[in-house]
Amino acid sequence: MLSLSARPILSAFLPKPKPRRLLLLLRPRRSSASASALTPPTPRTTTPDPPEDADPTPLFLRPPTHPVPEASLAAFRRRAAALVPPSAPHLHRHLRWLLADASAPAPSGADPAAPHLLRAPLDELEALWLRHVRDRRPFQYVVGNEHWKDLVVAVRDGVLIPRPETETVVDMVAAVEGFQDGWWADLGTGSGAIAVAVARMLGPGGRVFATDVSEVAVEVARLNVQRYGVQDKVEIRRGSWFEPLEDVKGKLMGVISNPPYIPTDDLPGLQPEVGWHEPKLALDGGKDGLDHLLHLCEGLSSALMPGGFFVFETNGNKQSEFLVDFISTKWSSSFCDVEAVLDFADIKRFVRGYRR
Amino acid sequence: MASRLITRSTAAVLLSHLRSRTPNPTHHLLTHGAAMSSLLGPTHGLPATARSRPLLEPTRWFSSPAPVVEAPRTVDGLTVDSIADKGWTILAEAESDWRSHAAAVAQSIRLIKKRLKWKWLLERSKQLAVVLEKPDLWEDPVFAGNVSREQGELMGKIKSVNQFEQQLMEHIDMLRLAREEGDNELETESMRALADMRRDAKEKELNALLSGDNDVYPCFIEVQAGAGGVESMDWAAMVMNMYRSWAQRRGYRVTIIEEIPGELAGIKRATIKVDGEYAFGYAKSEIGVHRLVRISPFDSGKRRHTSFAAVAVIPILGEASSRYQINESDLRIERFRSGGPGGQHANTTESAVRIVHIPTGTTATCQNERSQHMNRASAMAVLQSRLDQLEITRQAQMNAEHTQSLSEISWGNQIRSYVLQPYRMVKDLRTNYEVSDPDSVLEGDLDDFILSFLSLSLDKVDESV
Ligand SMILES: C[S@@+](CC[C@H](N)C(=O)[O-])C[C@H]1O[C@@H](n2cnc3c(N)ncnc32)[C@H](O)[C@@H]1O
Repeated sequence: MLSLSARPILSAFLPKPKPRRLLLLLRPRRSSASASALTPPTPRTTTPDPPEDADPTPLFLRPPTHPVPEASLAAFRRRAAALVPPSAPHLHRHLRWLLADASAPAPSGADPAAPHLLRAPLDELEALWLRHVRDRRPFQYVVGNEHWKDLVVAVRDGVLIPRPETETVVDMVAAVEGFQDGWWADLGTGSGAIAVAVARMLGPGGRVFATDVSEVAVEVARLNVQRYGVQDKVEIRRGSWFEPLEDVKGKLMGVISNPPYIPTDDLPGLQPEVGWHEPKLALDGGKDGLDHLLHLCEGLSSALMPGGFFVFETNGNKQSEFLVDFISTKWSSSFCDVEAVLDFADIKRFVRGYRR
Repeated sequence: MASRLITRSTAAVLLSHLRSRTPNPTHHLLTHGAAMSSLLGPTHGLPATARSRPLLEPTRWFSSPAPVVEAPRTVDGLTVDSIADKGWTILAEAESDWRSHAAAVAQSIRLIKKRLKWKWLLERSKQLAVVLEKPDLWEDPVFAGNVSREQGELMGKIKSVNQFEQQLMEHIDMLRLAREEGDNELETESMRALADMRRDAKEKELNALLSGDNDVYPCFIEVQAGAGGVESMDWAAMVMNMYRSWAQRRGYRVTIIEEIPGELAGIKRATIKVDGEYAFGYAKSEIGVHRLVRISPFDSGKRRHTSFAAVAVIPILGEASSRYQINESDLRIERFRSGGPGGQHANTTESAVRIVHIPTGTTATCQNERSQHMNRASAMAVLQSRLDQLEITRQAQMNAEHTQSLSEISWGNQIRSYVLQPYRMVKDLRTNYEVSDPDSVLEGDLDDFILSFLSLSLDKVDESV
């Protein structure tokens, strides 16, 4: 039951043999890069995501096979820094991290004059940097990872970058009595961040079933599961919400989900990094943002074992209050201790409760 | 006339002895400095053999009374003390002047002796020698073992210093002989040996000064800009850079823990972690307010400005018993918040974490790491050190060594002045040590300032004993 598909996990990340058009990207555009990184978003007309010519292997996982002399690297660093004003310290941090992720760790005692080994040619790094500061492509897609809890979660275009708020979900799971040996479901697993973090806390009897409809998400989640060596704890299944979980119905100790919850009308106003670059499939929650959350509530009671736990992430105060009220009213006989939980910004970000 | 002859012959014997022992005199001269390697400071003086002897070691190490320690002399009777008293000018290391090298080494040796409480040491070893001569000594083997071990340690120290002095005298003799004989090659070699000795002595001197309880630990260095906006923030960044390069020169590992940039330039405040042995011992000399006078690069009117930056240094204690016990429930952990709707709406790599220790109001922030998880761990380490420091202060209010946190450092407590215009100078207001090359100081060449401050503190401790 827990066997993984035999598909090679990295296959999806191998470069497609398409001509590279990086030089095009290097050509300066009319608006200056630093301005676009800091000024209000204007609708984007170019550069579809993901670009067809990009190597889909996350940068930080590519082999360091490109020798670059110190001087060229220093020159790149200067050029890249010149594109961002001092008033944007986060972009200077990003530059530092980009170079850290793109470099092979220098072996101790290495000749300091030896060329650096990079995971991408310098012109590609330059193009990546431009797309970050100019096109507001999220930094996490540039380097291919997000540092989340104690994990370095691989991400790429087409999969949602896990949010810091979501870390709390894992802590809530850890607070459930006997969680170590239960079966858990992470619905809409995306990068697999939650599933991997939960799996790492589980005992020998514990399992996580992670589902997603998105093919990219399933591939990235597989990579993360493999990177953290939790293949025997996490089973990834492609499909919509509870559909792939017929066989474990009524046996789950917990259901976790961070489903798309942004009201459709709010999508155009999103921060460019999100609205222009992250998958709509991971964000769009329908008219009130509640489409998926309500669907999940419907399936809860048959999926959970008696006494089972659930936690959903929501859009905030309004959605959480509504859901608490809805669940406690509509299914008062099925659930107990249903409550909204604050995130670190004191927004009611989560709804949790137990099946009776 | 007679003494002159003796002088020459003694030196000649020395010389031929040396040449017959090794075909390459350079090599021999250069290896001299090693004698004191096990001596001071960082290893707290115990010769390795003494430390590893079992307590009840019945061997009697010293069957003869303590040797009468004669100060080593040159053939014409110079001693370390007489050299130090001559007040020869100490020139830069690169200058080939034997008097300058000799004076520098002599001063270092004097300071090392002071740190060892030399007179007391000689006195004590004389007493122990008497005890060790008692025929019934080994009837109490524990006592005998202790005495014997202590004597071993003392003699080890005395011997190392004496050997070092002896070397100095030999090099001086050799150099003067070479001059008389017109042996240029030997002169160059001796000069180089003296210069090497000087570097070696300076390092040992510095180590000898580090005897405080927490000196051995790594530390945090914090720099905060004073009033005066961009001027002071720029200055604070210069000060922070100075410490980063100083630390890197010394081979320490530097990590940025927190950095709050100024709006236009520089930093409002920053914290770095300096990892490596004795980082705190050295860096503690820098606690206080640093003042800069220069024509401001930010002032279109090209006026002269004075800026201030405050520096705090906190030791990072090991798993010592003196560590403050933090109660999880006393902590308030604040994470970065975007201020907007958050969740799926926002993309950020900002992951600053601030931890408040409610009972004491102590806080620590970290924003340098890539995840909140790591920032939290870093901030906890800073908080732990701050609370340790509070605890140390509480436990030893009297302790002159007590370090101050940034909030305690009053802006009146100026320790050093850096003047870039109208003249160029860096002057330590505590020791009056000054140099006329601010650039090298700002590039991290701080050891002389640190050394002179540490020596001064040692003098003070001496006086109060
Ligand atoms: C907001 S993302 C959450 C990703 C991840 N769990 C996290 O917290 O970072 C929502 C995820 O739900 C997935 N999703 C959307 N519709 C789905 C459906 N009908 N069934 C399963 N997953 C779906 C998306 O592909 C996306 O990966």
